[in-house]
Amino acid sequence: MSFIILKNIVKEYGPAHALRGVSMEIQKGQWVNIMGPSGSGKSTLLNIIGGLDTPTSGEVFVEGIKINALSEDDLACFRREKTGFVFQQSHLVPYLDAVENVMLAQYFHSMADEEEAVGALTRVGLEHRLKHRPSQLSGGEQQRICIARALTNDPVLLLADEPTGNLDRENTKMILELLKKLHSEEHFTIILVTHDPFVSQWGERVLMMEDGSIKSDAPINP
Amino acid sequence: MLFNIIQKSFLNQKKAVALMLVSVAAGTAVTASLLTVSYDISGKVSKELRSFGANILIEPKVEGLAGISGQKRFLREEDIVRAKAIFWRHNIIGIAPMLEATVEVKANSRTATYDIIGIWYEKSLPLPGEEKQFTAGTRTVSPWWDIKGQWPDSHEKVIAGASLSERLGIKTGDEIFMNGKRFTVSGTLETGGREDNQIIMELGALQEFMNMPGKISKVLVSALSKPMDEFAYKDPATMTQAEYEKWYCTGYITSIAKQLEEVFRGSRAKPVWNIAETEGKVLNRLTLLIYFLSFLSVLAAALGVSTTMIMSFLRRTHEIGLMKAVGADSGKIITVFISEACLTGLIGGTIGYVLSLIVSQYIGTQVFSARLEQREMLLPIALGSAVLIAVLGTILPIKKALSIKPAIILKGAE
Ligand SMILES: Nc1ncnc2c1ncn2[C@@H]1O[C@H](COP(=O)(O)OP(=O)(O)OP(=O)(O)O)[C@@H](O)[C@H]1O
Ligand SMILES: [Mg+2]
Repeated sequence: MSFIILKNIVKEYGPAHALRGVSMEIQKGQWVNIMGPSGSGKSTLLNIIGGLDTPTSGEVFVEGIKINALSEDDLACFRREKTGFVFQQSHLVPYLDAVENVMLAQYFHSMADEEEAVGALTRVGLEHRLKHRPSQLSGGEQQRICIARALTNDPVLLLADEPTGNLDRENTKMILELLKKLHSEEHFTIILVTHDPFVSQWGERVLMMEDGSIKSDAPINP
Repeated sequence: MLFNIIQKSFLNQKKAVALMLVSVAAGTAVTASLLTVSYDISGKVSKELRSFGANILIEPKVEGLAGISGQKRFLREEDIVRAKAIFWRHNIIGIAPMLEATVEVKANSRTATYDIIGIWYEKSLPLPGEEKQFTAGTRTVSPWWDIKGQWPDSHEKVIAGASLSERLGIKTGDEIFMNGKRFTVSGTLETGGREDNQIIMELGALQEFMNMPGKISKVLVSALSKPMDEFAYKDPATMTQAEYEKWYCTGYITSIAKQLEEVFRGSRAKPVWNIAETEGKVLNRLTLLIYFLSFLSVLAAALGVSTTMIMSFLRRTHEIGLMKAVGADSGKIITVFISEACLTGLIGGTIGYVLSLIVSQYIGTQVFSARLEQREMLLPIALGSAVLIAVLGTILPIKKALSIKPAIILKGAE
């Protein structure tokens, strides 16, 4: 059985259709990139897989769990146990510093553990920025905090919505190297949304979306 | 971690936190002051009400042959101090003996028969078994008595009631003859009551004049009492032993009267009902009013906290959405915000409590011209109501926070 299974997912916002019947499967340990024009439904799809949003109709299975049938609190539990999310904008709590932002996710998961949080930040190369607040950090550094936060609870699924959208080539590369390392060494399943053809070269498979449907689905030739 | 989050979030929104603290502190201050006042109000107000006159009347018991033959009976002056030895002695705030007689008064060549009363105007008596003195006399039960002239300083002087003086055409300094003996009018008295038609003199003087040593006709008592309730109206004769003891040891006007009856030999003591009942009603209503106001002030403060909280939550939706996105369930979200509320409550409550100390003393001195007693148990009550205010005020905002959809918030934010 595939790690992620989507069956005919439809998402409507009033009369507008964000997703018009998306079906696909993703294997465990796969790195999938999602591309497509603005408004084609990429973020919506990612949010539904990550349990941040619920589909209007259709079924979503992650590790055999039918997450579109879960209650609010069970969904929250699914998010903190299984997923790590990296958003397009680096969503951080502005009044907490880097370590505390990571510890916040730990606190909601089980128990805040400063050592572990520092470890996660070290993994993304931020050991020298532990006590800085988001406003005192660059966009790339903020994004790396988000990745550290996403990694801290040992998720099985890493979801990233244009994680490099606001970054220059250098920082983009650095983040991608990091993801690649996690993918090859720790066998994370990664789903990444991007506009950037450079970014889409990394990974194993590219989904092209258009107007709420998958237009093409092809492996990347290394 | 929780404490860390709260501490930093407080520092991050100083204005909103300050506003909430003000709401909570104000609410607590008002509530705690009202409660302080309410503890003391019964005592203070009933003391004020006591200036409307005696509420217990002690008279000789009339029974058997004495009643039929119309023979006059008396109480004993020596029993008066014993009133300060009963269980409820501290509630006896006024006691005034009176001897009644009739005399033939001759003044300005007019003669008529008038009532004469012998009283203590203001007299210090030794407390039984104690060093201290207590004050007895008519001034303690009828403080409105206003004598024009002087209270007699000798046995040959009297006070004349206002109506009587007018009828006889006498004034302060004049001489009158009573039963043929000469007296000087040292002052006049107008009360609007029976005294206006009477001659008033010192109790001892009248006892000597009428040759009735140690005798008194009745005693007026002003006593602080607990408002009558259903239990108080039970007939003591039908009570069980336990009930009777409870009744006896509760400061009802009836049980105080009963105890007075026991110390005045050959007496019957009864409450002056219209006064006692009115007092009870006034006190009950006042207490109810205070509780009601306290409740309203808690509600108003909670409303204040609620609006501030909602505003602060509106600014924090992004943060709440984020907490949810990284896996906070409703339990954790509630924990964070209820903890914030409790902390706000504790801080605001402490400030409010300190304020209430000042406010209630101000009320005490302004309204009752006395310090109100401060009770320790008020601190936990104040803190409790402060936390209640803060938590009540947070419920609505939390409900809103829980309905936030993380996907929508995080998409649109920044
Ligand atoms: N909360 C919402 N209410 C109404 N319409 C929405 C909402 N969220 C998304 N949509 C609509 O759904 C469609 C898909 O949105 P989505 O965010 O998935 O696009 P996207 O592919 O991620 O675009 P982008 O590349 O610009 O991020 C869009 O047409 C958008 O307007
Ligand atoms: Mg998007």
